[in-house]
Amino acid sequence: MGSGFRRFSGKADMRRFQTVRAYLFLLPFLVFFILVTAFPVLYGGYLSLFGQHGAKMWFVGLSNFKSAFTDPLFWQGFGMPVFLLLVQVPGMIVIAIFIGLLYERIRHSVVYRLIFYLPYAMPGVVAGIVWSYIFSQSMSPLVPLWNLFGVAKPIFITLSSVRWILLIIILWEWTGYTSLIVYSTLVSIPKELGEAAEMDGATWFKVAYYIKVPLLRNTVFVLFIFNSIGAMQVFNEPRMLNILLNLPQNYTPAMYLYNQAFAYGSFTYSIAMGLVLAAVIFVISFFFMRQSMKELDVHA
Amino acid sequence: MKASHRVRFEVVAILLALYFLLPFYWLVQSSTKDIQQLMQGTFVPGFPNHFIDNLLGVFAYNHGLFIHWLLNSFLYSGVGSVAGTFFAAMAGFAFRRYRFFGRKFLFILILGFALVPGFATTLPLFIEFKSFHFLNTGWSIIVPSVLNVFGVYLMAVYWNQVPEEMFDAAMMDGTKELSIFLRIGLPTILPGVTTVLLLSFVAIWNNYFLALIMLNRYEAFPLILGITTISSASGWPVYNLTLMGAFLTALPLLILFTTLQRFLAPQLTGSIK
Repeated sequence: MGSGFRRFSGKADMRRFQTVRAYLFLLPFLVFFILVTAFPVLYGGYLSLFGQHGAKMWFVGLSNFKSAFTDPLFWQGFGMPVFLLLVQVPGMIVIAIFIGLLYERIRHSVVYRLIFYLPYAMPGVVAGIVWSYIFSQSMSPLVPLWNLFGVAKPIFITLSSVRWILLIIILWEWTGYTSLIVYSTLVSIPKELGEAAEMDGATWFKVAYYIKVPLLRNTVFVLFIFNSIGAMQVFNEPRMLNILLNLPQNYTPAMYLYNQAFAYGSFTYSIAMGLVLAAVIFVISFFFMRQSMKELDVHA
Repeated sequence: MKASHRVRFEVVAILLALYFLLPFYWLVQSSTKDIQQLMQGTFVPGFPNHFIDNLLGVFAYNHGLFIHWLLNSFLYSGVGSVAGTFFAAMAGFAFRRYRFFGRKFLFILILGFALVPGFATTLPLFIEFKSFHFLNTGWSIIVPSVLNVFGVYLMAVYWNQVPEEMFDAAMMDGTKELSIFLRIGLPTILPGVTTVLLLSFVAIWNNYFLALIMLNRYEAFPLILGITTISSASGWPVYNLTLMGAFLTALPLLILFTTLQRFLAPQLTGSIK
C-alpha cells in the first residue's frame, strides 16, 4: 500500500522534474520565439484593427479587412503567384522528376548533381540582378543566340515578357534543388524493382512511369505544398527586376504589402493584408502540418 | 539500356548544365569588364581586363561602405547562426528527452506560428523594434535571425535518432543533465548541428527583406541589401560595381556549398532565399 503510494508520488515528481528541466532547456528559444514571432503576430492582429495616418491611430474594427477583401489591387497581385502555381510549380516538379531519373542513367552524375544544385547557393537577390542584366536591352549577351535559333526579335525584359523571365529565374533557382529531393527518394527505391521489369522487356520510360513515379507520390505532395507557399510570397526576384523596369506596385501580394507600408505609409492596412495572406498560406500549409506531425510522432 | 539512349541522356544533361551554369559564367566574366565592355553584350571576358579595377572600385565605393557591409554580413550571419543553432539544439533536446507538461501543444504551436509568413510578422516587428530603439542597428537583424524554428524541427528529428540507452547510461553515472546535453548529446548529433548551422548562416546571409524593412542607415546594411543600393553620386546605376558586389556576395556561399556539400543536402523544410 505504502509502496504504491510512493510510486504514484514518484511519477508525479518525475513529471514535475521533467517539466522544469524541459522548460529550462526551452527557455532561450522561447524568449526569442515570443519576442520575434508570437508577440508580433498577436500585436499585428491588434494593430490591424486601427486606422492610421502618420503617427495618428484610431480604432476601426474590422474595416481594414473589409478594405483588403474589396481591394482589387490586392487581389490582382495574386495573378503572379497563381501563374507560378499553375505553370512553374507543376512544370518544375515534372522536370525535376525527369532530372532525378536522369541522374540514375548518366555517367559522372555526382558532378551534374552539384552543378544543378549550385543555383540554390546563389542568393535570390543576386540571381535577380544577374538574370535581369542578362535579359536587359543594354547588356544582354543573348542576342546572337536568338539569331541562331531563328527568333526574329531578341527577347528583352519588358512588361509583357517579365513573367516569363521570372519563370526562367525561379526554375533556374529551384529545379536542381528539387531534383535532388526527388533523387534521394528514388535512391531509396529497391533497384530490383526496375531491373526485373527491364528484364521482362519494359522500356526505360515504362519503368519510370509505372514503377518509379508512383513511389514518388508523397515527395511530390510535400514539394507541391512547399513551392505553393513560396509562390504566394514571391518578392525578391520581381523586386530586383523592378530596378530595370517599373513594375506595378501590386505586381505580387508581397510587393503590394511592402509598397503600401513604406511607399504610402499605410502600416495598419498593410498588416491586415499580411494577415489575409497568412490565412491563404495557412490553408495551403494545413495539410503539410498534419503530414509532418505523423512523421515526427510527437504523440508518444 | 541501349547505348544510343545513354548518349541522348548525356546530351540532355549537358544542355541542362549549360543553362544552370550560364549566370555563374556570365557573372564571373562580367566582373572583368568596365561599363563600356558590359554594354557590348558578349560572353567573352573584358580586354583589357578590369577585374582589379572593379574590385578596388567596389571597396572604395562611398569611402569603404562595402567593407561595412561585408563585416556586417559576417557578424549578423555568424552570431545569428551560432546562437540560433545552439538554442534550437537545446529546444530539440527538451522535446526528445522529457515528457513534460504542454509538450505536444507547444510543438504544434511552434510549427503553427512558423508557418506565418514573414510578411505578416515583419511589420509588427518593425513597430516593436522601433520602441526598443533597435531600428538601424545590428540588433534589428540579429535578434530575429537567432530564432530558428525549422532548426528546432530538424534538431528534434536528429535527437530522435539518439538511442535512449545512451542517456540512461549517462544518468547511471550520475552525469548532470547539462553535461549530458553538452558532452554526450551534442557530439552525437554533430552532423545535424553542422547542417542546421550552415543552413541558418546561408539563410541569414540571404535575408534581404528583413534588412530592407529594418535598416535605413547604409553603414548597418548587410551585403545583400547594400549591393542593391550601389549607384553614382547622381543616382545612376553603376553596373560594373553592382556586379562585382553581387559576385562577392555570392562567393562565400558558393565556397560553402561546394566544400561542405554533404552537410547541405536539401532538407524538406522550405526555402533559404
